[in-house]
Amino acid sequence: MTSSSTPPAVCISGLQKWYGRYQALCDVDLNVAANERVVICGPSGSGKSTLIRCINQLETHDAGTIEVNGKRVDRSTPRMHMLRRDIGMVFQHFNLFPHLTVLENCTLALRKARKMKLAQAQEIAEHYLNRVRIPEQRGKYPGQLSGGQQQRVAIARALCMSPKVMLFDEPTSALDPEMIKEVLDVMTDVASEGMTMICVTHEMNFARTVANRVVFMDAGRIVEQSDPRTFFSRPSHPRAQQFLSQIL
Amino acid sequence: MESFDILAGIFEGFKVTALVTLYGMMWAVPFALITGVLQHFTRGAARVAVTCVIEFWRSSPVLILLFVLYYALPGFGIRLSGMTVGAMALGLNIGGYGSQAVRAALQSLDRGQVEAGRALGLHRLHILWLIELPQVLSAMMPTFVNQFIQLVKGTAIVSLITLTDMTFRAKQIADAQYNPIGVYTSLMIAYLIVCYPATLFGRYLENRVRIEHRGSREI
Amino acid sequence: MKFDPDFALSVTPLILTGLGTTLWIAVAASLCAAVLRFIFEILRRSNRWLGYVMRFVIDVIRSTPVLVQLYFIYFVLPFYGLTLPAIASGVLGLSIYYSGYLAEVFKGGIDSIDTGQFEAGKALGLRRRDVIVSVILPQMLRNVAAPMGNYFVSALKATPYLAVIAVPEMLGIAMEVGSNSFRYAEPMVAVGVIFLTLALCISYVVRLLERRLQIAHQR
Repeated sequence: MTSSSTPPAVCISGLQKWYGRYQALCDVDLNVAANERVVICGPSGSGKSTLIRCINQLETHDAGTIEVNGKRVDRSTPRMHMLRRDIGMVFQHFNLFPHLTVLENCTLALRKARKMKLAQAQEIAEHYLNRVRIPEQRGKYPGQLSGGQQQRVAIARALCMSPKVMLFDEPTSALDPEMIKEVLDVMTDVASEGMTMICVTHEMNFARTVANRVVFMDAGRIVEQSDPRTFFSRPSHPRAQQFLSQIL
Repeated sequence: MESFDILAGIFEGFKVTALVTLYGMMWAVPFALITGVLQHFTRGAARVAVTCVIEFWRSSPVLILLFVLYYALPGFGIRLSGMTVGAMALGLNIGGYGSQAVRAALQSLDRGQVEAGRALGLHRLHILWLIELPQVLSAMMPTFVNQFIQLVKGTAIVSLITLTDMTFRAKQIADAQYNPIGVYTSLMIAYLIVCYPATLFGRYLENRVRIEHRGSREI
Repeated sequence: MKFDPDFALSVTPLILTGLGTTLWIAVAASLCAAVLRFIFEILRRSNRWLGYVMRFVIDVIRSTPVLVQLYFIYFVLPFYGLTLPAIASGVLGLSIYYSGYLAEVFKGGIDSIDTGQFEAGKALGLRRRDVIVSVILPQMLRNVAAPMGNYFVSALKATPYLAVIAVPEMLGIAMEVGSNSFRYAEPMVAVGVIFLTLALCISYVVRLLERRLQIAHQR
């Protein structure tokens, strides 16, 4: 637990979202403290991705409040793009820019959004490409890299912006099994540096070893949340028990 | 008149053909890019307005546009040279088609690209300029080459408003010496000489674009 | 001379008498173009060298202006004993020109049908001929219908070219009104409005048709 003087990194209260008549999120409350690592899991369609995409407003919510880094975000927030610079996101399908090299992918936002000079941006980019252990690929294009390498570049790209919170939306779901480990290792590394992370994933070992808290969602609601050990050994909600028995 | 002389006579009109093509491209390319992007991004009344402008220039037959501009504008007090009228009518007509290609290319771009740009905190215009347009433009080169070819072919109609292009010259020669076979065959050859290489180039570009893009969606 | 809207309105009915001609020229040209293209496709696939020749012929057709091809057919063919009335020359010219562009239509139509369809037909014990008629052809026609609709609109917009070879379609009538009254602006605007309306309406209908076919075609 963190001291009460530090505001939570992410503070979600009473969140609701509808797609037409289908309710994707029902009454979601979630507080994530600074430096905390939260894993969100659940069956598909439970609203996990929708929830984290609301945090940086790639999806907009219909009711309830979200506060990130102390600032309220919703569809009417002006200059949302500036707030997004402090929130990093890693996508299931990487979404690297195919027409830019690995290095350019990382420096683009630094140069345009943070108005950095090229040399300084490149230095930062090289630092993070080192961190994700592929500095030698800096001149290659995304199409020339394997899936695992692309996702690591995507992580580096997000880290370059020095975000206060990192969001991961099923980062390994689109990867071939032999490449999942390299990405999880990088994520573990990021966690060990103290980054606040919210991670939607099916990788339960990762949850067990890295997360402070596991949040289980079903049908748009948070149904159970506890520390990993409790969650995996003694889940209390029947849906959680059912889910775990199916995937473990 | 020997066929070579006929061809040479026809090519005297090449300067006008080239100028109309050039001025036409100067209308067509900006019009296609601006209206295509606008149509992709705007909603509601603004989008309707842009669509109306595009459709007016695209859905009217180009010959009609040419004649309307040439004959009707003076009635409203606007006097433009034949070259300007020709370039405008052809350019905006072809640009109208081009705008649809621009819009389609923007729409077909993977949404994830835009999301990644937004997640990084880039401003929407930056995303358009740095991420969407570069990817779309390289895919659109074959379309622009095609527009160029359409323009060159389109210039033939300016012969009907007395601009002395290749077609006009051919008709002059044909009326003078009554050898339609020789003259019109030479005219076809003249356009072939100009357009056929461009057609081949366009096909080469199409194949290159296809090969380039094959690598980049590897997951 | 200032533009006179009343005069424009008064000549509109006269111009509209050419509507029927315009429409049936477009229909005839579209159908003939499809037939020509079909023949071409069969020839192209039958023999490798013939394929190259046909490819070249198509490139020539696409690299020269339609106006020039019309002149060629109208002025040159009589020398070889083939004197067609103006309308027939016009339809022939447009058919040949558009057959050059129907590649996408037929490629989409023939190649896009799942080979599994053919295998399923054979597995059911149908003869090759029956598979083609009952399984392949209906799907092909459905794939082909919507793009053909678009080419019909293109052919429609090309009918004004026939005015230069003295065909009594709408632009031709407008030109005649102009030369009789010495006022060109009004008939040109009138015919322009007519064509724009026509093209937009028919495009709309084609798009509705496309949507209906899509729904029926969903797998």
